[in-house]
Amino acid sequence: MEITIINGSPKRDKSTSDLLMEYLISQINDNNEIELHNIKNDTFTERQFEKVQNSDVLIFAFPLYVDSVPSHVLKLLIELEKRNFATKNIVVYCVINNGFFEGHQNRIAITQMKNWCRSCGFIWGQAVGIGAGEMLPFLKDIPMGHGPNKNIGSALKCLSKNILSKSAGQDILVSPNWPRLLWKIQSSFSVWYPRAKSNGLTRKELYRRIQ
Amino acid sequence: MNVMIHDLERDIFHSTFSFESEDVQIISDEGSIKNCIGCFGCWIKTPGECVLKDGYENMGRILSQADNVIVISRCCYGGYSPFVKNVFDRSISYLLPFFKIKRNETHHRQRYQNTFRLSVYFYGEKISEQEMETARNLIKANSINFHVPEYAVSFFGSLSQLCEEVKMQWK
Repeated sequence: MEITIINGSPKRDKSTSDLLMEYLISQINDNNEIELHNIKNDTFTERQFEKVQNSDVLIFAFPLYVDSVPSHVLKLLIELEKRNFATKNIVVYCVINNGFFEGHQNRIAITQMKNWCRSCGFIWGQAVGIGAGEMLPFLKDIPMGHGPNKNIGSALKCLSKNILSKSAGQDILVSPNWPRLLWKIQSSFSVWYPRAKSNGLTRKELYRRIQ
Repeated sequence: MNVMIHDLERDIFHSTFSFESEDVQIISDEGSIKNCIGCFGCWIKTPGECVLKDGYENMGRILSQADNVIVISRCCYGGYSPFVKNVFDRSISYLLPFFKIKRNETHHRQRYQNTFRLSVYFYGEKISEQEMETARNLIKANSINFHVPEYAVSFFGSLSQLCEEVKMQWK
């Protein structure tokens, strides 16, 4: 089976989508040909379009931007629709992560992807929507399916089974196996404040209002 | 101040609307906009301002001065067109990185004290029922995240109908 993964994270460093795809690939790579394309901007080569056209399965991984599909991914979706690939029964799966705690905040991007699938004539497989995506790089040493990664691991296992059989499944929206209040406090004290400090900013300066 | 974000071609826009003397800031596609690179620089490096200097780095400040934000966009799969979406992707400096719980969901806290009303006009020849439902849900979610107290969404099968409606509402 030919599987194409489109990773829509624009980050230069290792992203949450990178980590999620590394795990997913480890679950689906036996006897399958997997092509991974990272789109940092809206450029996609003819060869990449051909690869998509010849795929049995198409997997999108991207971060949620302002409740929906990021603009650079949206541009690619429009280009793919124009190519009119509907002659082949391509099954589409998605893994979307967001910066809020709740996985269900990915629900609108999932329906956008379903609408796109319908416009292209592709077959909808399944989506996994993951909350607190920014937390995952901090937990990369904890195996998927364990501790805080328990829910994400189970969701990706279910997704990988469906991908391997090209089956459709119910969309899964998961939050980390972690207290929300603790995550909220940690995001300020372990992420935003230290990052600001490393840029030479005080905590107060993060609240700057530009007139 | 009113802010209008649109994806119309320059000629169509200028032949339809004439806002020169009014208090309106127009955000249109000048061909230079870059996509958000997810660096969070607008929160932790240059707070309130995007690090990409392409003419769209001040969206947070612009939204902070708005009473009304009027959006004209092609409806793409139940969301904005790429340009309009790009503008919103580059607008998160309007908010703080910190979270609050609102309606039992986490959302970003406000950087500014102002709020604006949001009016979204979608156009497209064949907008499906599913796309309209997605779009309504999207604008509702955007309004919660951008702390918008009042919003409206409408759909038009043709650009001429949309322009007439916008002119009538915002003349």
